[in-house]
Amino acid sequence: MSAITPTTPVPGLFEIQAHNWKLAILVGLIVSVLSMFALPPEAAFWITGAMAAMVAAAFVVNAYRRHYYGGLLVAPAIAVLFVMNIFPLLWSLGLSFFAYQSNQQTIRFVGLTNYTKVLTDSLKAPENWANLTNTAMFVVLTVTAQMIVGFLLALMFAKQFPLRKYLLILVLTPMMLSVVAAGVFFSYYYDPTFGLLSYFIRLFTGEQFILMDNKAGAVAGIVFADAWMWSPFVMLLVLAGLVSVPKYLYEAAAIDRVSGWRRFWSITFPYIRGLLMLALLFRTIEAFKMADLVILLTKGGNGTMTISYHLIRIANEQNKTSEGAAISYVMLFIVIVLTNLYLYIANRRTEGA
Amino acid sequence: MTAKTKLQGLATAAGFALALFVGGATTASAEDVTLHMAVPDWPPTRIMKKYFDEQYKPPSGNKVILDVDFIPWPDFYTRVNASLTSGEKKYNMSVADSQWLGAFVEGGYFRKVNDYIEADPALAKTMADIHPSFYNAYSTYPYTSKNIYGFPQFPDVLVTYGRKDILCDAGEQAAFLAKFNSKLPCTGEEIDAMDWTAFENVGKFFQRKKGEMLAGKPLDDDFYGIAFQAGKGYDFSSMQINGFIWQEGGDIWDETKIPDGKAEGVVNSPQAIKGLAHYLSLIQYMPPVAKTGTMDIFKSDELFREGKVAMNIDWIGLGEASLDPKTSKVSDKLVFGLPPGTKGADGKLVRWNNLGGQPFVFTTWNSDLQNKEGMEFVKWWLSPAIQNQFAAGGGQSAVKSVYSDPKYVTYRPWNRAWAAALDWQKDVWHVPQFFELLTQQQDQFDLAITGKQDAKTTLDNVAKFQQDLLSTAGLIK
Amino acid sequence: MSKATSIWEKLGFRKASGVSEAGWGQTLFAGIISLIYFLPVLLIIITSFKLQTEALSIPPKFMPTNLFGLIPDAYVFSPTLENYTSVFSRAMTSGGVAENTGFDRYFFNSIMIASVSVLLALVIGTLAAFGFSRYPLKGNDTYLFVILTTRMLPAIVVIIPIILMFRVTGLSGSYLGIIMLYTAFNLPFTIWMMKSFFDELSLDVEDAARLDGSSGLKVFFKICLPQVLAGLAATFVFGLILTWNEFLFALLLTGIDTRTVPVAMSQAVAGGGIGVLWGLLAAIETLFLIPVFFVTFFLQDHLLRGVTFGTVKR
Repeated sequence: MSAITPTTPVPGLFEIQAHNWKLAILVGLIVSVLSMFALPPEAAFWITGAMAAMVAAAFVVNAYRRHYYGGLLVAPAIAVLFVMNIFPLLWSLGLSFFAYQSNQQTIRFVGLTNYTKVLTDSLKAPENWANLTNTAMFVVLTVTAQMIVGFLLALMFAKQFPLRKYLLILVLTPMMLSVVAAGVFFSYYYDPTFGLLSYFIRLFTGEQFILMDNKAGAVAGIVFADAWMWSPFVMLLVLAGLVSVPKYLYEAAAIDRVSGWRRFWSITFPYIRGLLMLALLFRTIEAFKMADLVILLTKGGNGTMTISYHLIRIANEQNKTSEGAAISYVMLFIVIVLTNLYLYIANRRTEGA
Repeated sequence: MTAKTKLQGLATAAGFALALFVGGATTASAEDVTLHMAVPDWPPTRIMKKYFDEQYKPPSGNKVILDVDFIPWPDFYTRVNASLTSGEKKYNMSVADSQWLGAFVEGGYFRKVNDYIEADPALAKTMADIHPSFYNAYSTYPYTSKNIYGFPQFPDVLVTYGRKDILCDAGEQAAFLAKFNSKLPCTGEEIDAMDWTAFENVGKFFQRKKGEMLAGKPLDDDFYGIAFQAGKGYDFSSMQINGFIWQEGGDIWDETKIPDGKAEGVVNSPQAIKGLAHYLSLIQYMPPVAKTGTMDIFKSDELFREGKVAMNIDWIGLGEASLDPKTSKVSDKLVFGLPPGTKGADGKLVRWNNLGGQPFVFTTWNSDLQNKEGMEFVKWWLSPAIQNQFAAGGGQSAVKSVYSDPKYVTYRPWNRAWAAALDWQKDVWHVPQFFELLTQQQDQFDLAITGKQDAKTTLDNVAKFQQDLLSTAGLIK
Repeated sequence: MSKATSIWEKLGFRKASGVSEAGWGQTLFAGIISLIYFLPVLLIIITSFKLQTEALSIPPKFMPTNLFGLIPDAYVFSPTLENYTSVFSRAMTSGGVAENTGFDRYFFNSIMIASVSVLLALVIGTLAAFGFSRYPLKGNDTYLFVILTTRMLPAIVVIIPIILMFRVTGLSGSYLGIIMLYTAFNLPFTIWMMKSFFDELSLDVEDAARLDGSSGLKVFFKICLPQVLAGLAATFVFGLILTWNEFLFALLLTGIDTRTVPVAMSQAVAGGGIGVLWGLLAAIETLFLIPVFFVTFFLQDHLLRGVTFGTVKR
């Protein structure tokens, strides 16, 4: 960016300077992690807090010395995230190397045992892998459904027509529902005795319809409810991109008699690509965490157990904090690989375009 | 209020006034004591809080405040567990499921209260008056040991809910007699006398399609004979299946035999398999939602209240909703009895069942004063006057002198089955591994309920898991 | 920028933005689709006017009136507002007197906590997004990715450290704690979303303004921000919706005084010795829907006007 003209030289990594934020982060991380292992949680908390403040200060000084607005602008967000998110994340990463149950007072370092147990134990590993496979299935099915439905809905609303805003808000409503209420009401819609689905099918077959008594039906029920709730999310992002395409571009294309497909590909798509990618990214991340709807609709029965629900049972009900942390870091690793793949493809497209 | 309690009240008030006066004259001996308590949000705890606010006068003269955190049932465990294990030390007392005792006692959260009970003969006498089934399940850890932890808040057992209008219909009675050569149970006594075969017959007999006749009227929807819990969530099948297993002479892993007990060979004994197979054979007569694995205690109760089944086995704790015309379509047609039993070799019914309900407990970080005031509150709560009032207002009592009083059966229609049911109650494990044992077992039972594996495979899997887990934990040699 | 001038434009009968037009045919088509899509919500709203004994009737009762005999009585329920009064005040024991359920407080909490934390995240996040977009740090993508990572772990994993942290700082059960947590919870999405909007902007105008001697601050407020109003609106709406319905953190970190509606709602799912109180649950959900529904509705105008600031893009 041409606007930036550094006036202070960039310090080396180990140069002790008030504006050496890299060193601050490094020291901050090391001291924080060490304090987490070595000190009681209360002391560790304050030390990590101080480290966060130090990193923030280094950022600010660095930004100030170098007229470096980026650092100044980013600092508050980094500070909040560090205290409320990254710090607890590191803490639970630390816990995953210990034998620790939150309802017991003892803690013991065990290295990678939790990870090997989670991945290879003859009793636990098959269950974990099965849950992971189910989760992958849900990710693929729900995200695909959401992207397609969301995209089609956005296309429908991309044109201006009478009463548009009143119809659009109707479509946006599902994602405003609380998952608890939506899940409970979907269990009612699917219920063979009271449910509306069974009622309408019975009008034709004369038999009560049991949707969720087999894997296909149970998965379909969950995917439908989830896609219904979150397609509007995709729609809104795509729509925000679609309406930002300047009209004159279309007009110019019309004069040049560009075909519909090419018009979409060369004019519309570049405007929505970023937002589409964002929608995909966030929905995939959320889909990996799917648990609420599964709990409310099937309790994980009929082959719908997800890794996230499994995690709730391990880490919350059974208080096996360390084992839970290990599972979740394995999961995090998979999500990171996947999202990196997304971003890699997205970036290659950008460069190619 | 009787003259006697009135007098007592006056005396307490006078004592209180005196204490205040003396306290005011010398130093501030009357202190403010706040007891923070975590409870599930439902009538039995709301009633307790109400009685406390309206009626409780601490004999010490201190000002005692019961600060109750009403937590919705579905999230109760999560919230309490998080509060206890994070070291928040927020609650001085908590309602807990009996099965949670081990996990929280071993973790150092629930306080052993033998010292306070020994110091107070009146309280010890009250404890001795609690029915042993509940005393063992709610108060002791390890199960049936001498260590005391909890006190009954809302004791509960399974009972059979029946539809009088259908069961007593003359036409149905005649048809049932013709088909099964036995009388269709109609009164409470007849339901008490049912065994599982009779229950199964009711299930077969009342499985009707829309348009068929029921009690002389055409049905506008499918109808079913029986329902009981067969859900995957929490303990919503184990609580019923345990009864079947015990009644057949089988057993679950017995924690009182630590460390000599075994899981393999016990949990999957032929009797236990027979019990589970019997349970599974009845599911076909239940409303179709049972096939999805979501027939929990609330679902079967809802089906019953909506008038879709003739008989339902469920906890008394859900009974008030059936009696209330605002929530129940069958509120005026109810009959209650004991759950079915299994005919033993001597022809008598074996009636073992799993008990329910909740105790409340003290936590380890309380001050001595808090514990003392808490114990006074417990004594008051378990006193016959309050327990009677509680039972009349929609609660149940485990105190012998209360439930053996003839007026106890007049409080609620299911109370006729209460005293008889108590001697036949056992409980599941209370060990810290409870949730692991339960979750794996519920998953396995769910596979059996939804028809994916048979009883033997199911119990073999359960036994193998338990043997492995419990021997790792050192509870099995 | 074209301002809606007549009531017709306000009602959406005329075009108000730079998108192509379609006629009433599209309205009909979109209307049918939208209504089908809305149906499950509509059924919840209808249920909120039903008594418990009518909520599960077969055949479903979906009409509050028989329309002068047009609709068979089997499909007609007698509408009641009882569920709505029950949300705030009802008997908690059988035969007891009606008492306050605390829901007035829970609604206030939800509105307060969600709006403050989303606005805070929007302010902090937009600044950061602008920084990431215009002044890329070395390893910019790595920072962005680390920020994203914080959203990837299920909440249950970080909950134990967070509970410990809140206890140490005395934040447990306070407004400040849960607001800060939600702010952090919203930041990744806010930053990513706003960055993608800033990235889409043409740099020519900004560069020109800088050459004219405008400060960075002025460029940001006068030139960039007005162009991403749509993005701000969309981000605000998303943040609000996600925060509005957040459950797990609220369950574990709010006290009885700071409890939010999604947590209190389970009172109606398996509450007072009964399973689901259908009418009550529907009424709570309907009431809970209203604020976020209207916020979305009013921001939607903004959102859909598109980026019509007089800039030549690309």
